[in-house]
Amino acid sequence: MIRQLEKFFDKIRRDGSCRHDRAALLVRDDQLLKAGPEDFCEVGQDLLQQLNIVALAIGEPQIPFHHLWLPRLALDDKQIVPLDTETRTFLHDIPLVRQRGGHIDTAEVAEQLGRRKGVLVEGLGIIAGGPATVEQAYVNFSTVCHALFIGYLLQLARGILQPVELRQLRPLLNRLCRPISVKVEDLLIGPFVDPGVARKAIQQAGHRTVDLHLVDSFFGNVSCHINQQILISQTGASLDDLVGCIDAVADDNSCTAGLTASSELPAHRAIYETNDAAVILHGHPKFTVLMSLFCDNQDCAVLDCWKECPHIRYLGDVPIVAGEVGAGGIATTLPPVMMNGIAVVYGHGVFAAGSTDFRQPLRALIELENWCRNEYLRRLDQRIIL
Amino acid sequence: MTGWRGRLLSVDLSRQRIWMEDLPADLLHSYLGGRGLGVRLMRDHYRTDPFAPEVPLFFSVGPLCGTLVPTSSRLSVVSRSPLTGAIHDSSCGGSFAWHLKAAGYDVVKITGVSPEPVVLAIFGNKVEIKPVKHLWGAGVAKTVAALNPAGGAAIIGPAGENLVLYANIVTGEGNSAGRGGLGAVMGAKRLKAVLVDGERAVSVADPVGLQRGINDVMRLLNASPVIFGNLGFSEFGTAALIDLLTQRRMVPTKNFRETHFAAASRYAAPALRRLYAPKKQGCHDCPIACKKALRGRQRLPEHGSLSHFGALLGISDPASVVQSGQICNDLGLDTLSAAVSIAALSEARGEFPSGEQLPDLLRLIAHRQGEGDLLAQGAQRMTAELGCPQLAMTVKGLELPAYDPRGAYGMALAYATSNRGGCHLRAYPSAHEILRKPVATDRFDFAGKAWMNIVAENTNAAVDSLVACRFTLMAAGLEEYATLLSAATGADYTAARLTTIGERIWLTERYYNQMNGFSSNDETLPERFFSEDGSSGDGLSVPAIDRKRFFEERQRYYRLRKLDERGQLRQDYLDTQP
Repeated sequence: MIRQLEKFFDKIRRDGSCRHDRAALLVRDDQLLKAGPEDFCEVGQDLLQQLNIVALAIGEPQIPFHHLWLPRLALDDKQIVPLDTETRTFLHDIPLVRQRGGHIDTAEVAEQLGRRKGVLVEGLGIIAGGPATVEQAYVNFSTVCHALFIGYLLQLARGILQPVELRQLRPLLNRLCRPISVKVEDLLIGPFVDPGVARKAIQQAGHRTVDLHLVDSFFGNVSCHINQQILISQTGASLDDLVGCIDAVADDNSCTAGLTASSELPAHRAIYETNDAAVILHGHPKFTVLMSLFCDNQDCAVLDCWKECPHIRYLGDVPIVAGEVGAGGIATTLPPVMMNGIAVVYGHGVFAAGSTDFRQPLRALIELENWCRNEYLRRLDQRIIL
Repeated sequence: MTGWRGRLLSVDLSRQRIWMEDLPADLLHSYLGGRGLGVRLMRDHYRTDPFAPEVPLFFSVGPLCGTLVPTSSRLSVVSRSPLTGAIHDSSCGGSFAWHLKAAGYDVVKITGVSPEPVVLAIFGNKVEIKPVKHLWGAGVAKTVAALNPAGGAAIIGPAGENLVLYANIVTGEGNSAGRGGLGAVMGAKRLKAVLVDGERAVSVADPVGLQRGINDVMRLLNASPVIFGNLGFSEFGTAALIDLLTQRRMVPTKNFRETHFAAASRYAAPALRRLYAPKKQGCHDCPIACKKALRGRQRLPEHGSLSHFGALLGISDPASVVQSGQICNDLGLDTLSAAVSIAALSEARGEFPSGEQLPDLLRLIAHRQGEGDLLAQGAQRMTAELGCPQLAMTVKGLELPAYDPRGAYGMALAYATSNRGGCHLRAYPSAHEILRKPVATDRFDFAGKAWMNIVAENTNAAVDSLVACRFTLMAAGLEEYATLLSAATGADYTAARLTTIGERIWLTERYYNQMNGFSSNDETLPERFFSEDGSSGDGLSVPAIDRKRFFEERQRYYRLRKLDERGQLRQDYLDTQP
């Protein structure tokens, strides 16, 4: 357990989801194991005594939603429902816990953590539980951070803050929107004919997307089509740790050992079947996901935009389509719009394909995310967002 | 009452009496239904001999049954196992549970012994006990054809009638309530079948909330590669596991002497699809439809049956492997226990049977004739009688399923601590060690497995009491099911509350076992797994299990469960529970 604690404490402090010095991780073993600031550990210890779970992650997010957003919500708002696919599919909603008399009521936090994977606590930050493993606490924490980030920036652009506060927040936003360097030329060069080399290329590409802070560790998957099979990262695998986590799936399904392949296998397969692609990179870059949620059509009759929107919209010249994760959904909607090798799924993420190796799709993914960062700031400045 | 019916139907076959009882609301809220409620209702009988007339056999459904919640139409059958002596529950698909709820009951309790073979026919409030002497000795298929049930049916075959200690109860559709021999408990009561039907709809407290929750679960199921993926259970059935476990080199082979069987691909899911072109079939209203149907009532066997009638016995002919599973279903025999018992006898004799010999051998077991009478006792009793107990691949008397513990250490620990003996389904560590759900863990590492198993044991006890299919846990979790249960019943359930209920059920089962003499001495593995390596290869090392680490983690399990160092609960545990 100590190894797990060290591994994920390091990740949570390095991944940029929260302030480096304001993250804690607590693990229940024979003894309580903890790392992080004392005040967080005290709260966490109290919570673990009330909960039947193994781990807790506590952190103050980069953008202080717990100070800025929560107090602006109506007192009878019990939860936030960001519009991203992570919330829609896995979180459902994020409960809010307000302070009482300047204090955090840990009993209420425990009650809400007994319902959902993570909560937003006024004046403190985000707390997420790991029912069975330390990794679950980390993944749940990352997911809640991702969802709140998108939800809050969407609200921000829609005018939730006063101009004075916005000016105060602007330096942080400028920093968060700094362009990502297009570091791709040193990646393995294709086309790949040896599956061993292809696996290395997949690992390298996955790692690079995380190193560049383009996507968080658990938010994406990577594949390569080679010798009538798809080599693809496994479900729940970390993009920056794909060694031993790549499945081979035969085109004709003649072996089911790839049962553990990514949930996006149907989408990858559909793209390979209909496009001239050799590799595919899929990730959830925050600003691309965020910008995909803006829609100018105010008179639209579609209510379930994630699933039923029939329109193709664009981020620059990159198409956005609707579609659900996994079976059905995006496996149908994506392939027709992948002719330029890149497309966005509403509220979800980007699929980028390459005809030889990962340099081309990674470049496209970075350039799109950088475009979205610029576009977000431009829209924020102009306040023309709906 | 929403969700539940709040009614128990009690049947005394000795006195031919039938009456109804109200189920107290606090008991329903505290134990939910299915496994949990059945286990609670065993409180006055857990020491009773499984073949004694007064031992009850419970058919129990859950509060979500009869609603549109995916995979909730499952049945739990609960009693004491004649094979192991432990408390036993079996979760079973099909349509029986749905029809029982429609008849207006949460539970049917059957006690006594009928003077002659009978069928219990339940049609709403009209309940009859009918003689069926002419069907005694008939296989399940013939019985179904003769009774032609309009609703649900739960039937025993010759194995149950002849008190084979691992006899199953089989539904009219062919789903089995398996493992611990509850078919023999039913046979001892001379109850050939239970037929059930009704027309009462289930009302729910919050239909809108329920539908929202159903949409959430469906979204998660669609996102689960194991369920709806290209290679998932919906597409290929559980037989999809054959290739995966072969690649992981954890296939029990030749009575667990080896862990790799290269010829398994001959009866793996893609091969069976080519050979049989099966159609998808599911339990009542199940969207997954993991069963693979052939013509008539026949189905392709599940992963465990295929693997044990294949690799475990060294047989690669797909026709033989499939036929063995189908014969067991008709005889009402548990496939896993039958195969492990045969494997133990084969190793003792130095010769494994051929595929051609298996059908006759299985029939001999079901009718307790010749060598079959020896095998019908199960591997533990049989090898003790033969003087070679080390060849019984069992824990607490229950034969091990088709996951070699040398390939997954959480599974090794789960076999040992399971309340119903060597069973993969109590903690189902394969979910995380093999299928990467809810998160992937290192299968060759004991670290953290004690806690993971506890969480899973509690979770699964709750899910078995709802009663939902375990496969949904490859996608959704207690969080989603708490929302559904709240909407169905109007009570406020959370994941944490369901976990507490699951823990209560688990510990109650453990208490019963403890009072029946089970202790830490029973919570280990057959010696083979500590002293013989598995089949390494393809760059994968499969060593014997490190005995010291195994017992360290088992002791950690006891500490985290707040048991004493011998794994015992406080003597007054039951007094503290509702």
